[in-house]
Amino acid sequence: MPDAPGNAMLTDLGRRLVGGSLSDAAIQQATEATPHFAILPWVNVVKIGGQSIMDRGRSAVGPVVDEIVANLPRHKMILGTGAGTRARHVYSLAIDLGLPTGVLTVLGTAVAWQNAQMLQYLLARHGIAFVEPEGFASLPHYLMERGAVICQGMPPYKLWEHNPSVGRIPPERTDTGCFLIAEVFGARKMIYVKDEDGLHTADPKKDPRAAHIGRISVQDLLARDLDDLIVERAVLELMLNARHIKEIQLVNGLKPGQLTAALNGEPVGTIIFNAARGEPA
Amino acid sequence: MNDVSPGAQHVVSRLMRESLMDKALIAGTESPVRAILPTLNVIQIGGLSIVDRGHKALLPLLDEIVANQEAHTQVVGVGPGVRARHILSVGLDLGLPTGALATLAAKSSAQNAYMVSCLLASHGFVYLEAPFIVQLLPAMLAAARGAVFNGIPPYDLWEHPPAVGKIPPHGSDSGSYLVGEAFGARSVILLKDVDGLYTADPKQHPDAEFIPDIAAADLIRMALPTLPIEPVVLDLLMRSKLVRSVHIVNGLVPGNLTRALAGEKVGTLIHA
Repeated sequence: MPDAPGNAMLTDLGRRLVGGSLSDAAIQQATEATPHFAILPWVNVVKIGGQSIMDRGRSAVGPVVDEIVANLPRHKMILGTGAGTRARHVYSLAIDLGLPTGVLTVLGTAVAWQNAQMLQYLLARHGIAFVEPEGFASLPHYLMERGAVICQGMPPYKLWEHNPSVGRIPPERTDTGCFLIAEVFGARKMIYVKDEDGLHTADPKKDPRAAHIGRISVQDLLARDLDDLIVERAVLELMLNARHIKEIQLVNGLKPGQLTAALNGEPVGTIIFNAARGEPA
Repeated sequence: MNDVSPGAQHVVSRLMRESLMDKALIAGTESPVRAILPTLNVIQIGGLSIVDRGHKALLPLLDEIVANQEAHTQVVGVGPGVRARHILSVGLDLGLPTGALATLAAKSSAQNAYMVSCLLASHGFVYLEAPFIVQLLPAMLAAARGAVFNGIPPYDLWEHPPAVGKIPPHGSDSGSYLVGEAFGARSVILLKDVDGLYTADPKQHPDAEFIPDIAAADLIRMALPTLPIEPVVLDLLMRSKLVRSVHIVNGLVPGNLTRALAGEKVGTLIHA
């Protein structure tokens, strides 16, 4: 290894980083003791479901668009889109063809992108722009000028997506991509707009006895190890490591007013909070 | 099947209407995976360990890559090195989150990869950014005679926050491994400045024992304080479908890369 430069401009931590191994547990621990700067603390990340909202067409998307427009004067929003039934079709086909998870991620991203484009056509007259991951440096401008911006929800991992522990479906999809946007910007809220009132003890579409859960800790939810979830498991695992986002909220986009209530801080739908990183804001 | 979600306009597929979070459904997607480029070899050149040492370390290695060009298809990932450490230090001091740090650090390895591609240009190697790896790698390998890419994967702002601290967990080892796994590569060779894995850092502990071959799960259980490879790669290996091992090789020793490409074990093999 080259000699660490004796640069007096480096902090103590900086000198250890330049000279040491990044996998050293002691150095990793030392990086924890740095400030947590929130880049866009006033922004709300709102994920619009693919199968749950977009695939339903005008009857579901129209009222959600109206509610977004009504909230533009009061709440700044990054709107991410899910993928949905076309992603299910292309995953199914690609699995049958023997293609790997990274390729499925590339394919699924295109579906979330289509949904984002459609949502953007509906909001274009309000001056709402669509931004690719490469254009995220322009987000602050669009948010300040127009109050919202649209992006596709998938993280830009492409072929570099992790394999799942079981099967072939990319484990980090649009719920995860939107969560990571909220976390990196230190957002005010992470709201998922789906077609259920939040979390239930089973899939309410299949089991009429499923009971609603209004508020639950991510630790409790992971410990229950449910067979099915309304949010990607990766989101729950990442919540444990998040520095900024201490809770996420799941609301029913088919019920007008729920998104607005969540933006206003009301406990509609389900709130999943991290019990280990302090009380939720 | 009942129309359980009225109003949704579905495309008929095996996964139609289903929750992709359902464990039984996920288990049903387990089936063989095809290797897209099965003759590919992914060679990762370390930033701090090789590139930062300049021409004395790098040029002999590049000569060896060129000498193997006829016999082996090679794509070369490059790591970031000391400039990434510096910007991590400044970024951490400013309070920036992991995703911002990942975006910044990736530019340092892009610089190193670009320099390596310039040095290999006269032999037909091209530099490919991540979108071109996705779209053009097979064409470039057919037309050009090799490719160089940024070892750090394009996670950018979407990088995972780690459990402890803020250092981005996906560096160039993970990125190079994932390129190999996605294409079903023949081998993933990580060139470093150590002979492989030891029970302790041999630079600080001369009595450290060499480990020629180990399973990722066993290595995780040993909980060594430092590793010559990103810990994420061990998790990735345990979930691998196609590339079931990575080879850590000392890139400062002439002939090591050639032997590794020929299938000899010259360093440490970490396997699934």
